[in-house]
Amino acid sequence: MRKAAKLVSYLCVAALAVCGLGACNNDANNDKDDDTKNPSTSTPGGDDTTGMSGEIYVISREESSGTRSAFTEILEIIDADGNDATVATAEVTNSTGVMLTTVAGNDKAIGYVSLGSLNDTVKALSVDGVEATADNIKNNTYPVSRPFVMAYKEAEASDLAKDFIAYVMSSQGQAIIAEESYIAADESAEEYTASGLSGSLSIEGSTSVGPVMEILAEAYMELNPDANITVTQDGSGTGITAAIDGGCDIAISSRALKEEEAAELTPVTIATDGIAVIVNTENSIDSLTSEQIKEIFLGNITEWDELN
Amino acid sequence: MLKLKSKEKLFKMLFCLCAFVSAAAVALICIFMFANGFPAMAENGFFKFLFGEEWRPTAGQFGILPMITGSICVTAGAIIFGVPLGLMCAIFLAGFCPKKLYKVLKPAIDLLAGIPSVVYGYFGLMAIVPIMQDIFGGNGKGILTASILLGFMILPTIISVSEASLRAVPNAYYEGSLALGATHEQSMFKTVFPAAGSGIFAGVILGIGRAIGETMAVAMVAGNSAIFPDSLTSNVRTLTTNIILEMGYATGLHRQMLIATGVVLFIFILIINLCFSMLKRKGGKAQ
Repeated sequence: MRKAAKLVSYLCVAALAVCGLGACNNDANNDKDDDTKNPSTSTPGGDDTTGMSGEIYVISREESSGTRSAFTEILEIIDADGNDATVATAEVTNSTGVMLTTVAGNDKAIGYVSLGSLNDTVKALSVDGVEATADNIKNNTYPVSRPFVMAYKEAEASDLAKDFIAYVMSSQGQAIIAEESYIAADESAEEYTASGLSGSLSIEGSTSVGPVMEILAEAYMELNPDANITVTQDGSGTGITAAIDGGCDIAISSRALKEEEAAELTPVTIATDGIAVIVNTENSIDSLTSEQIKEIFLGNITEWDELN
Repeated sequence: MLKLKSKEKLFKMLFCLCAFVSAAAVALICIFMFANGFPAMAENGFFKFLFGEEWRPTAGQFGILPMITGSICVTAGAIIFGVPLGLMCAIFLAGFCPKKLYKVLKPAIDLLAGIPSVVYGYFGLMAIVPIMQDIFGGNGKGILTASILLGFMILPTIISVSEASLRAVPNAYYEGSLALGATHEQSMFKTVFPAAGSGIFAGVILGIGRAIGETMAVAMVAGNSAIFPDSLTSNVRTLTTNIILEMGYATGLHRQMLIATGVVLFIFILIINLCFSMLKRKGGKAQ
């Protein structure tokens, strides 16, 4: 009897909690609706460029995130020493999900996510007039993108190394890359058939390419059980140097090779990663130049008015 | 007979072993933290690490003073929100609550303690943050939001420990007070409450420990900028969130500095636990 009473009371509490949560969410939604209605009624005819004012809320990722380092590198959000100089007051989120929720809930926020994670709760800005789409990244017009490269010494490459690269560039390998929400380099690739090669292969370099490379290596080793591939993630530069010095068989890099590096190594672009600059869907701005984005994230532009 | 004795011995050993395992776990954690953290701290300079004002790992600057400040601010805020609410609730539960209501309230509070912190964080992000945005403008995250959320999170600890210590006060205190002509309210507040003082204080300290160690929920609502907060709605990063934000990809010295951040946090918790056990001992003597 007492047990039953206890159970009933637990259920009551759970029901109350659910109701409470529901009410909260409704309130929040209603408030937002009100906010969105007001400006549209006050400016009938709606001139797009005069819409945004107020402080810009800059939202960044944590210091060691691959997306952040790519973003700051590509847009040169760096200080005189070449170090990341994202404005210190920027809000820091530690995941793509929280980034999207935060921007979706704040009409004055600006942030960035990997293009593969973009959804329609937020608006992706055009950069330098180019829309952030997979096609524009493939034809190299969207500026905030970077190639994922595997580089090796042509003369010294083992059969296994060549076979693994062939696998990465095959339809199976490219499918894995697309599944990890990067843009595959070759969509009409041919199918790979297991070679049954054995031996060991060491891959070293970028922490951004590393995770997808681990998955590729595992899938390859399943097809070729005698092969043993190790992936070390210690940064693009370290990996490329190691490949040149013979410290590893294949370097993985999240940037194109520099001229002197390309003289020593043969690069293969296996995928492209694009970063979308995102704002709230209520934001009237559709496009910014890369210079403007850079100044926003450096903290030199702090008001939306300055961008109109 | 002999068999029984040896069996008994065996189980004694087994239980002893279990006790040692948990003690060994604590010792291992201590050794790991200090062995990994201290060399890194020394490499970077203790003073520069503890009192450095800039945290920029890519530029090799590791100063955690903003995070220490952040942790203290957020914890203080949590106490301001959580302690009065928790104490009132405990007094109500122990002295004024009708039995029927108690059967509903007590499980509700116990349930509050069992909610995973990431769920609290999500609740904060979806419910508290928009409200704060409406009231104060801005991004709705920061010290105030984190403090309110943490205030909720430490409630169950404070309530259950305080209620237990209120109930542990001998009934004679209460009856004696009534016999002297005091009302029920006067007896509760002026006699029973002070008598349970050290136990209640211990509950508050446990709550502080929970607040300072909370990670996931704070990371979602604090904004996490590594700056000195300049207002109640300013973004803030605590010691715990500093670790969880960057541990995922950090390598080399950066990783070691995060472990060193953990050492600082660990020392904070040690101090809090020391306070707790000292109070408990004092409370034990008084009774």
